[in-house]
Amino acid sequence: MHDADTIQPLNGRPPYAAGDADAFYAHVGTGGKVEADDWMPDDYRAAVLKFVEMHANSELMGVLPERDWIMRAPNLRRKLALTSKIQDEVGHAQLLYRVAEDLGKPRTQMLADLIDGKTKFHNVFHYPTKSWADVGIIAWLVDAAAIVSQQALRDSSYAPYARTMKKICWEESVHIMHGRDVVLTLMNGTDSQRAMVQEALDRWWGPLMQMHGPPTDPAKDKDLHWGIKAKNNEQLRQEFLSIYVPRILELGLTIPDAALRYDEADGRWEYTEPDWGELKSVVTGHGPASQERLEFRRVNFAETQWVRDALLGNATTAA
Amino acid sequence: MTERVWEVFRQEHEGDPMIHSGNVNAPDDELAMHYAREFYGRRGESHRLWIVPRDAIAELDDPDLLKPPLDRSHKKPGGYLIKHKLEAARARATEAGE
Repeated sequence: MHDADTIQPLNGRPPYAAGDADAFYAHVGTGGKVEADDWMPDDYRAAVLKFVEMHANSELMGVLPERDWIMRAPNLRRKLALTSKIQDEVGHAQLLYRVAEDLGKPRTQMLADLIDGKTKFHNVFHYPTKSWADVGIIAWLVDAAAIVSQQALRDSSYAPYARTMKKICWEESVHIMHGRDVVLTLMNGTDSQRAMVQEALDRWWGPLMQMHGPPTDPAKDKDLHWGIKAKNNEQLRQEFLSIYVPRILELGLTIPDAALRYDEADGRWEYTEPDWGELKSVVTGHGPASQERLEFRRVNFAETQWVRDALLGNATTAA
Repeated sequence: MTERVWEVFRQEHEGDPMIHSGNVNAPDDELAMHYAREFYGRRGESHRLWIVPRDAIAELDDPDLLKPPLDRSHKKPGGYLIKHKLEAARARATEAGE
């Protein structure tokens, strides 16, 4: 008889009791997910918060280099696209601050810490912009380097962050196309336009190579161990190089690193060691545009206080 | 006035299920709707949004109730493996008809 009408496996919710940190880490270490209202150990909560807050800061600060170009965009469609990208990035900051707020830190405190220089944002947003080609290089390659790590974050153990990253990645893919379109248009233009792109690439290559951070020891990387992020720094850089080096070279651009080559035997990209000293100095507020950008945020925060007061005040009388 | 968290559910096309999208922080439903529209509808990607105060949501996540350690296969189509029984029944019917 074939009476195997039997039991299908039952997938119960992973059992970890509130307060049982060992069981919790076993859960996230094997691909388990955590929701905002689930119990979690304080050090996991602090690590997710720090990671998401830094990401939110980067989205908020990242619009400032692009903002400088809204009024200088070459035509209306470019101006609309750039304005829309900036709106998206500020929106990403809002979504991410919301994720961070649920972990226990008020948004006003996060903004205060950012403008006081107590928390960090990505290295690439500490540099000035010099030409319209920078807008193309930033939207294409900076966003591409970012999306490589953001796609990996869709697998984060902290589920509200992972879900937010799905929406963000979808929007970022539009920005990359916008940036690539700007670069392609310039490359199909005049010699001086092509030179402008090359000059921008020369300036941005160093910060791009530093952006994912120095290789870390996976055994000591707790963000990796706890599944907050799914890939390590070097994996992300390798992935970025594999996709984007061919796309840069096919346009006739030169990458300013004579040592850059793909090692078939090792299956990895070799490159000149990025300047980790510069990275450290820049992200601690000593980049060429760090203080100017933070000062803009300080002034902006003070100037918009009346809006926040009005919204909350009106709500009181209306409610 | 204190802010509250509002959960946002999005329907992509008419007739689709309402899928949880994220949440916004706002002091009242009017602002919550403006924020939700900006975050989840500014590309024309939504047919409808539900904006619900988080504290209005009753949550049930007790595994003893939702995933009890009992066989529930009789409640699912996959719990009925009829392939061999059907073969036997057809064979029997064919035999009887001959």
